[in-house]
Amino acid sequence: MSNMPVTAFGVFLVSTAIILIVFGIVARSTNQQRDVSYAGANRLRLLFFVSLGVILLIFLVLTLPDLPYPVEASTPERVVLATGKQYAWSLNEGTAPTVDNWDDAFSQKVQLPTGAIVEFRVTTLDVNHGFSLYTADGHLMAQTQAMPGYVNRLRVKFDRPGNYTVLCLEFCGMAHHGMRGLVEVR
Amino acid sequence: MATVASTVAAPGADVYRAKLVRVTLVWVLTALVLFPVLAILGLLMRTEQGGFLQSMSPEFFYAIMTLHGLGMVGLWFVAGMAVISVLLATYVKPTTAVSWIAYGATLTGVVLLLAATLVGRLGVGWYFLYPLPFHSGGTWPGWATASLFAALAIMGVGWTLWSADLLFAIARRYRLSHALGWHYLSGSTTPEVPPIIIISTVSLIGVLAGLVAAVVILVLVAVEQLGGSGFTNDALLIKNLTFYFGHMVVNITMYYGVAMVYEVLPAYTGRPWKTNTLVVFAWNLVLLLVMVAYLHHLYMDFAQPRWLQVTGQLSSYLISVPAAVVTIFSTLVLIYGSAMKWRLPSVMLFLGVMGWAIGGVAAVIDSTVAVNTHFHNTLWVPAHFHTYFVMGVVLMILGTVFHLVTELSKVPESLALTKTIVGTVGVGGYGFLLMFYLAGVAGVPRRYAVYPEEVVVGTMYARLSLIFIAVLLIGALVYIWETGRRCLKLFSS
Repeated sequence: MSNMPVTAFGVFLVSTAIILIVFGIVARSTNQQRDVSYAGANRLRLLFFVSLGVILLIFLVLTLPDLPYPVEASTPERVVLATGKQYAWSLNEGTAPTVDNWDDAFSQKVQLPTGAIVEFRVTTLDVNHGFSLYTADGHLMAQTQAMPGYVNRLRVKFDRPGNYTVLCLEFCGMAHHGMRGLVEVR
Repeated sequence: MATVASTVAAPGADVYRAKLVRVTLVWVLTALVLFPVLAILGLLMRTEQGGFLQSMSPEFFYAIMTLHGLGMVGLWFVAGMAVISVLLATYVKPTTAVSWIAYGATLTGVVLLLAATLVGRLGVGWYFLYPLPFHSGGTWPGWATASLFAALAIMGVGWTLWSADLLFAIARRYRLSHALGWHYLSGSTTPEVPPIIIISTVSLIGVLAGLVAAVVILVLVAVEQLGGSGFTNDALLIKNLTFYFGHMVVNITMYYGVAMVYEVLPAYTGRPWKTNTLVVFAWNLVLLLVMVAYLHHLYMDFAQPRWLQVTGQLSSYLISVPAAVVTIFSTLVLIYGSAMKWRLPSVMLFLGVMGWAIGGVAAVIDSTVAVNTHFHNTLWVPAHFHTYFVMGVVLMILGTVFHLVTELSKVPESLALTKTIVGTVGVGGYGFLLMFYLAGVAGVPRRYAVYPEEVVVGTMYARLSLIFIAVLLIGALVYIWETGRRCLKLFSS
């Protein structure tokens, strides 16, 4: 399971603590008036600029290789067609449902083997939806949007067996919160 | 009114500004009424998410969610415009009548939105992502969608006129290159241009650029819906235009708040804040970057070209640099060791800059593609934008409003009430936000009327947030009382 949310929150907390400390020091400094050396302030600004630049560059270098978009060179072992329609997800291998045959072709769940690289080809028959996969204990493991007229390809490797819930992560109307699908990994 | 750069004030500015004060007071009083009403809608939403309002239907939840979002975004934009207008009137001459026209257009839009959401149960979210308004699933009637677009069109016309008038007012005194401060880059400081002129020029150009996108959306949607030619819009194109517009409006509102900090804070520190090369460079860079930073809203649209996704992350990272290195750093230098008069306006401006910094960090984190995979459309998103709104630009605008009405009304500030406001807003505000952040880290989706079992932890965070929202509302109501009575005194005088 990715630790990214916790890591990101840690970065946020540390940054917030630094901001609070700096603002606190500046607020307290007004208890005793003193002149500010603008040359000194500008040297400090330069140091801040360089530090911020280096930090952002490090984050860029660390995170840009981790883009979630599929690479053409690799081939998925299984393909699942994920089709959104107010307010359900249909998960099919083979042929996706259309507006006309939705009731007959609709499949709320799909079974997949553990360890396989799966490509979800995500689209919608009406409005924008958000295709997201949640583990049984509520971790958001992957997502992509479902857009009318487009197919977004999301690659996922299910390392552990279990039931994974598909929820909608783009507001789509009255029963948005009840739009679900099920991926059974065995 | 005590302002910094009075050395470059326009001749007769006091007399001219007095004409604008009345319409500005009307804007302020309207904002003071709408703000708690819209905030209570937010409280109702969190109550429903906490499982305490079983009787509220999801349709009603999503309708008030739409009203809360559209209302708050619009409210703080117009409040920012109104306050900036009166501050600009020290240097240039905006047209009072245009402000009234914008007010009329905004009120008309508000009535249409109230009808669409509360009567028609329109539930499309504040950015009404195409084609949702036309797929109600039987929830809202066609007239509610028509009301939404009519409201947007009417307000759009009013705000375009208002923005154009402010730009013309600036252009009558400064040529564009001066208003953007380009002469500072070549070493010239003549004419002296106060920072508020530069930031306002950047912001107003941004607003007009954003409104162009809104017009394109309205035209494309109208052609599809009314044309009868079978033409279907490209969902990805409309999504790009929608987020370009929405991101621009929200960011420009933030910049109005920052312009107020540049203009008003020196009156409390006793140190001037003048334009220099860094300020000019920073704000011109912002004008460029704000046009592309919206791309971070589309990271999860995998069909978007990869180079645009990388551009989104790069520009979002870059735009934080001028904000942090120039504005936030300079605010701290301005205050450090100064004879700062800690009054409600200065405290609110100071805390507003701090909230902007904290919310900015959360925004930059979420603008990282690899992180966005985990945070996109979770409660991290409202966490960060509520941080730089509630604890950022709202404090900046309300601090400036209090500065203006206290000076004009001569009603002295109560230290006890100031402490009450700052204490309750600080504790309530950050407590309320922390519940959003924690839920976001836990992957709880935003915009859910009810939490399914996988994300049921969201219910607990919603319940806890109610305590903090109540505390925040107490502070807000004390502020509204204090400011409102000053406004009413000014009206009656």
